[in-house]
Amino acid sequence: MSGPAADAPVVELRRFSKWYGDVVAVADLSFELLPGVTGLLGPNGAGKTTTLKAICGLLHPSQGEVLLFGRPIQHDPMLYRAIGVVPDGDRLYPRLTVRSYVRLHAELQGLADAGAAADRAIAEVDMGPLADRRLKGLSKGERQRTKVAGAIVHQPSLLVLDEPMTGMDPGQRARFIELVRLIGSAGVTVLVSSHILAEVERLASQILVLVSGRLAASGDYHAIRDLMADQPRTVMVKVDDARRLAAGLIALPSTVSVELDGDALRARTRSVESFATALPRLARDQGATLREVRTTDESLEQVFRYLVSRR
Amino acid sequence: MSKSLRLLRFSLGQLLAGRRLVIVVVLVALPLVLPAVFASGADVDPATFTLDLFRQLVLPVLLPVVALTFSTSSLGSELRDGTVTNLLLKPIPRPAVLGAKYLAAVLASLLVLLPAEVVGHVVAARGLGSTDLLAGMLLATVVGTVAYCALGVLLSLLMARALLVGLAYALLWEGAVVSVAPSASSLSIRGYTEGVLAAVLHGGGLGLDTRLGPVSATVLAAVVTVAALALAVRRLERMDIP
Repeated sequence: MSGPAADAPVVELRRFSKWYGDVVAVADLSFELLPGVTGLLGPNGAGKTTTLKAICGLLHPSQGEVLLFGRPIQHDPMLYRAIGVVPDGDRLYPRLTVRSYVRLHAELQGLADAGAAADRAIAEVDMGPLADRRLKGLSKGERQRTKVAGAIVHQPSLLVLDEPMTGMDPGQRARFIELVRLIGSAGVTVLVSSHILAEVERLASQILVLVSGRLAASGDYHAIRDLMADQPRTVMVKVDDARRLAAGLIALPSTVSVELDGDALRARTRSVESFATALPRLARDQGATLREVRTTDESLEQVFRYLVSRR
Repeated sequence: MSKSLRLLRFSLGQLLAGRRLVIVVVLVALPLVLPAVFASGADVDPATFTLDLFRQLVLPVLLPVVALTFSTSSLGSELRDGTVTNLLLKPIPRPAVLGAKYLAAVLASLLVLLPAEVVGHVVAARGLGSTDLLAGMLLATVVGTVAYCALGVLLSLLMARALLVGLAYALLWEGAVVSVAPSASSLSIRGYTEGVLAAVLHGGGLGLDTRLGPVSATVLAAVVTVAALALAVRRLERMDIP
């Protein structure tokens, strides 16, 4: 393998477009990635997975170029020595154990001591106690962590993660975020996709926002978040006495509107943070029991669309 | 161990994992060995019996079914369930990945077919019997497996129902069309295997009339195999992986 070009960006997309028949998945996308963690944020169907697959060489651009270390990956499979990928979906061999799956990755990377590399990667994702369990018996979060171990077993200089925290519990997420930040701080270029704003906030300082296949915003997370903060977000709350809680919520200064929907209510707020702080207090004061609280994807999509409209 | 060899070993293990191997072995061995057991006690010429069994059961049914089953699932099942990304996102050229998957299908098929044929032959002949017949059957099986597997791998890259289409080719085209239009045997893998079998048997005194001569059969089998693999490589290199 000839070494990566020293001055080339790790990843460079030049007017990359991908379409399937009449359907445009990604249009005219250009950006560069340098070492550190970058979040790829966007609602479902925004083109995140298409973009990541093109970067990994699984999809051919319909137009434009995708370069890794200055070269198109389709012409140079040896570039995969420097790349680790956690793709979307399950994509595991159910009969293999965690150890044999990660070891397979190490061996196909051509590592001299595949067993030791596999054990190290398994330990990094906290899967040591489950190393000899078959993959088909693991939870979704455990399988995700196994995929991550397979992706980092050869210590790549580019790590591509497509919705990696799907199925992980809060504790696993916290440890995973810590691991990704550690990898990023060691000089590895990490690109991680998510449709959850709070997830990306904890992972990455730089973000790319994709909406409907186009780059809606890019740069420092906090600057983009300030833009997003201008727009109301919708929070869905399931509670045993929605009507009484709604009366309390509408009195909050950040609340724009509240709609009742059976045992649930939908509140539009200018500040999810202040809403999240006030909600438990209100519920406690009124003796109400909260059953579910979540921001809706649709509202996030509205925020993304707002970003597009500002460009 | 090289990466390609590791991939071949892994792919072979995947094909033969679990109960699949037991099921395929039983399905192949029973129709070959059981008639041979009964024939060995009857007043029939073992060589003629074995040759008939091979031409009427192995070549038209067992060989294509086994080879197409393994070859369409070798790469095709990984494409369908997405696990192929574990292999393609590695520093291994795609032609080498395809080659390992193809060889795994060939080896798995031969691992099932050849022992069953040998056992059936030995039981029917109550001993080694005609070595020319045995050599002809084994060589024809190898040639047929190599060609059917190339076709199966190609079909699995082109369509979702590759096994169905492959079996339709083997059972309908080769079984029905070729029997009423013998000139179509130049487009029949079964025709090539019979040509190879006839070439070996001719030297051993067992006559077998086939439309294709040994040279034509061998050349055509090689051309079909190489062409199918070349098209499969081209397809794998150009396709988007879901």
